[in-house]
Amino acid sequence: MTSKLDSSAGDELRKREYNKEFAPTMIAYGLSSWAAAAWGNLDGDSPTRFLWAALPLIPAVALVVVYVRHHRRLDNYQRLLQFKGLAMGFGVAMFASVVFGWMAMAGLEIPGSHWYVFAAGMVAWSLGIWWAGRR
Amino acid sequence: MKNQLRALREAHRITQGQLADLLDISRQSVNAIETGKYDPSLPVAFSLARVFGCQIEDIFAPDLAAPDPAGHADSLPQPR
Repeated sequence: MTSKLDSSAGDELRKREYNKEFAPTMIAYGLSSWAAAAWGNLDGDSPTRFLWAALPLIPAVALVVVYVRHHRRLDNYQRLLQFKGLAMGFGVAMFASVVFGWMAMAGLEIPGSHWYVFAAGMVAWSLGIWWAGRR
Repeated sequence: MKNQLRALREAHRITQGQLADLLDISRQSVNAIETGKYDPSLPVAFSLARVFGCQIEDIFAPDLAAPDPAGHADSLPQPR
């Protein structure tokens, strides 16, 4: 009766709406990334490679829209957790960017370091939400 | 802020999920309010009072043991 684990109908509805929007957009991102890598000849010298490289950005923008719509459906407490997580993700991504930037200036160029910045930000975002929820 | 939310909810035999739906907030938020992790907004506090048929003061009370965050606990002089 008083389980902490029970869910509310509103929670389920919000989750369903988010999944309904997120899943197809993520699939579109995966497919466009795969298509760009497979057919875009990104290592070549054709000008069309830039168009191919920009292809995954379309669903990536849609993912941002999906997140913003999800954020609007959250209540104040959940938004607070999200903002704390986003703040931590932003801070870690900025720090990682500065670290890689200075390392590159010192001659230690790490291939694909911008992807590490992205990964660090995403992980810190998730950890930040978890940490904020425990406090 | 201390609150009597859990005791009130259990007295009314409703789950956190049911209360969340009555308030149109998430179950996670109900749990956070009950455990004192989060103080609700005024609209949610008024909704809680309406749901339980009582005053906000019957649910929430200041935690007098906690330090005053603003550092000036004294009340203003009464207007003339």
